[in-house]
Amino acid sequence: MTKVNLSGEEVNVEMTKEEFEKVKELLNREPTITELGGFDIMWSEHCSYKSSRPKLKLFEDAEKDYDYVLAGPGQDAGVIDIGDGYALAFRIESHNHPSAIEPYHGAATGIGGIIRDILCMGVRPIALLDPLRFGHLEGNPHSQWLFKYVVKGIADYGNCTGIPTIGGEVEFDRSFENNCLVNVACIGLGTIEDFEHAPSRAYNPGDYVVLMGGSTGRDGIHGVTFASRTLTEMSEADRPAVQIGDPFTKKMIIEATLEAVKTGYVRGLKDLGGGGLTCATSELTGDGNTGAKIELRKVFTGEPGMTSYEIMLSESQERMAFIVKPEGLETVLDVFKKYEMTFAVIGKTDDSKVLKVYDGEELVVNIPAKALSESPTFRRAEKRPDYLDHLLAQKTPEPTINLEEVIKKLIASENICSKEWVYRQYDHEVGVRSVVKCGEGDSGVLRIIGTDKFISASVGVNSKHCYLDPYEGAKGGLVEICGNVIANGAKPMAMVNCCNFGNPEIPESFWYFSKSVEGMNDFCRKLRIPIVGGNVSFYNEDEVSKTAIKATPQIMIVGLIQGYENIITLPFKQSGNDILIIGETKAELGGSEYHSVIHKLEGGTPPSVDEEKILARWNFLYELYQNKLIKANHDVNKGGFIITVAEMCFKNKFGADIDLTGYNFNNLRDDELLFSETVGRFIIETSPKDFGKIVDLAKMFKVSVNKIGVVKSKPEISIRGLSQIVNLNINQMKQLYDSTIPNLMEI
Amino acid sequence: MAQIEFEIEISLENKPAARDPVAETIQRDLLAKKGYDQVSKVRSGQYLRINLLADSEEKAKELITKMCNDLRIFNPVTQILNIINVNKV
Amino acid sequence: MTIKIAVIQFPGANCDLDAVHVLNDVIGVETSLVWHNYFKEADFDGVVLPGGFSFGDYLRAGIIAAHSPALDEARVMLKDGRPIIGICNGFQILIEAEFLPGALLQNESLKFICKWVNIKVINNKTAFTHKMKQNEVLAIPIAHGEGRYFTDNLKELEENDQVVFRYSTETGNYESAANPNGSLDNIAGICNLEQNCIGLMPHPERASEAILSPKGTEHGRLFFDSMVEFIKRRIR
Repeated sequence: MTKVNLSGEEVNVEMTKEEFEKVKELLNREPTITELGGFDIMWSEHCSYKSSRPKLKLFEDAEKDYDYVLAGPGQDAGVIDIGDGYALAFRIESHNHPSAIEPYHGAATGIGGIIRDILCMGVRPIALLDPLRFGHLEGNPHSQWLFKYVVKGIADYGNCTGIPTIGGEVEFDRSFENNCLVNVACIGLGTIEDFEHAPSRAYNPGDYVVLMGGSTGRDGIHGVTFASRTLTEMSEADRPAVQIGDPFTKKMIIEATLEAVKTGYVRGLKDLGGGGLTCATSELTGDGNTGAKIELRKVFTGEPGMTSYEIMLSESQERMAFIVKPEGLETVLDVFKKYEMTFAVIGKTDDSKVLKVYDGEELVVNIPAKALSESPTFRRAEKRPDYLDHLLAQKTPEPTINLEEVIKKLIASENICSKEWVYRQYDHEVGVRSVVKCGEGDSGVLRIIGTDKFISASVGVNSKHCYLDPYEGAKGGLVEICGNVIANGAKPMAMVNCCNFGNPEIPESFWYFSKSVEGMNDFCRKLRIPIVGGNVSFYNEDEVSKTAIKATPQIMIVGLIQGYENIITLPFKQSGNDILIIGETKAELGGSEYHSVIHKLEGGTPPSVDEEKILARWNFLYELYQNKLIKANHDVNKGGFIITVAEMCFKNKFGADIDLTGYNFNNLRDDELLFSETVGRFIIETSPKDFGKIVDLAKMFKVSVNKIGVVKSKPEISIRGLSQIVNLNINQMKQLYDSTIPNLMEI
Repeated sequence: MAQIEFEIEISLENKPAARDPVAETIQRDLLAKKGYDQVSKVRSGQYLRINLLADSEEKAKELITKMCNDLRIFNPVTQILNIINVNKV
Repeated sequence: MTIKIAVIQFPGANCDLDAVHVLNDVIGVETSLVWHNYFKEADFDGVVLPGGFSFGDYLRAGIIAAHSPALDEARVMLKDGRPIIGICNGFQILIEAEFLPGALLQNESLKFICKWVNIKVINNKTAFTHKMKQNEVLAIPIAHGEGRYFTDNLKELEENDQVVFRYSTETGNYESAANPNGSLDNIAGICNLEQNCIGLMPHPERASEAILSPKGTEHGRLFFDSMVEFIKRRIR
């Protein structure tokens, strides 16, 4: 909080004194209180990315060489051309701070916000995915409360709006106890024409500015500056900044907006989120190189006596701003009337390049349309934390229990066990597109009705790996999430990310952000995956204990599958088939579930990424797909490859005879071999008759492929080739896998 | 001192400044459309009736408030707790 | 004469487009999406009240939509024997509008449930089930928070053959594990006395294409094929 002098009065603002001086310099005079409020919000970390922007420059042009990318970073959502005249829009963002205080409405309005971002690209939202982070559930009522109500908030909002939640990811770790992470992603589908009808800018003078949706109230004023501070700095008085979600109104906004776009009379579209009307009107005109006159009192308000400051900065949910061609105004308003939506024509665009807002006769805002987006940036210091050397040097102790016990503990652990308790509460089928449903594959697969195309989407990252090495961890996250869509038969098409980090003013926290961005950038450029959007959430830091969350650069990948017959799923299909592992296993137990669950260790050597090997494996897999050589595929993730094999056995109650004699060519300890989380490995099921062909192709692609076993009908896994024989009963494993979360949550 | 049994009625509703979409929809899409335009405001909430033992009415109210706060029966961020009635059984 | 079906779009309906897709593209019957205020019974031979959250399910699922003018129109169709189906939220609306008896309460688990279940055909004489076999078990998904069927007059319902579907195991047994929401007597769907109107919690429109079914079944088609056949017979 800074005190500045405005026309002789002291005003509290979030901006620094220097930023206040810059405002005066830009305007050549003192701002009005309403203008100052606008700058204060639009120049906050949350809106302006002032700490992250210099680093995010790396992503600039990351989408430029791809002819199928229609919109990249800086837009409300990334958009790609998927052929047959269709455009796919997607974005991910955070709603961490509101959810930590009011998990139900915080999560719900997070979903509301991401739906608006997709909708304002002119396309229909068709899927949601939600990666989450909480403290451990066991013995922790606060974490249970957050988890329960975040899931319920997502479910109630997504289900009601009729958008299936097709995927997500959740990790439980001590560092998220006081700062849970609620990231929300949405995918939209429309024709390329729809998308072209709805740019997020007002580029034509003389168009009408129409506000549609819920009424403007006092709720949520200053929600944005609030999100740019750490939670512990916040007073009770700040707390009503949490919004109440209204999914019914949102559903009506979706239908009314899409029908309005179809009329062809909409020339621009913007959702009202952080910064409210100020942000929407200034971005529309600023990006469109126009100006506008807005009549503030035309805005429909939820309560009487609101000041111009309150109306311009209110962040009331469920509102959209439309730029409408004059000749089509009546047609568009008729659509809003059909849906019984409230609306108001609040102004007109012009060629002044100035945003003028009138409160009756009084001019309360008079600023260059681009000024609000010209925030100063900060170059933050970065420093590798001193504690890392100690952590990385940690050695794995000898296990005190046998391998069978270890595997059972792992499969029942919070981070590995089934998340069915979560996805049963989500309507993951509405829309009749869900072909590979929650729990059935590494990614969610949706059909594009009317074509033979399918999209596959997955989201996640490993926070423990990123904590030990953010550069390799971010790359590893990409390998894993791309691996998810590839395992289902898709080719990764584009990536969006959501960077969740601590306080950027602390050099160690900023270092994590910086290295993660470098990792994502390097990997995507080498493997030719366009980065089409991102979001940054800083200040996920507990000020009292001075601890930040584990670095969490969430990654979402969207992939494309051509032809139904090319979709691959994870369950084993037939006994007698071969079980092959693609990729070698290295001694990389750092940040593994084995370390944290069995040894209560956070350190060790985390996985690192060799892009060339990864690319070779992907190309090899595409070749196997093309030759129809794969019956099932599952990428290896937390807990190591035996967990992967067990998950492949579950659905059809198969078992597996595993023999690791020929696979341990790196001479690892049993626990290193079984539980290392080396990234970029896949377990595939193939027919024995194709083995020769597969080995030949592997040689050609220079990929390591090993047969490690055979699928069998008896539901048990037996493992040979280790220092001890391991036998696991699949029914018992499944029971352990399924019961952990219900046991913790259903009390 | 012997404890007395009280029957306590409480309601949980959204804070006055917070929106109440349930009530707004009932008013707009049901009451007003069916001609009950005399209705000027609707607020929704949850109602609980709890019987408990306490030394006095004051203590009973204290206990209820503490219980609802501790167990997050309502979320003080968005909701308020009203004690509507306290009756001796 | 071409058969015309209406899918009514209530504010907050969200399975409306799914039903239109299945009827038009899978079953091949001319189907229109009709905004609830614009619906006129005279234009249609049958009607689908789709799933979703009409009016946000605020107050009680289905209650506000039950007061829509569309239900007054549908009541004319109910009386003259044209087929009416309410799916999920549509079922809740039919109950609240008293086309069908009973009540739909919050699931026993107090949670929304989305999963594939099995239902057993009890009455295969209705407008929507006459192409099914009695005691046939259908694979079909549910997705609801308020689907626990309750009536204080079960005996009458059974005597009048108004129980159309019961949740069961894949082999047709009524174990409690097969009852996803705690419905009385495992009831998943019911009909009116005249058997031209049915309501059920499961979603036939999500079970009409093999590509969407875990086991490649298309049991949902039977509902709509029965409806079309029923209309053809009536017209003749």
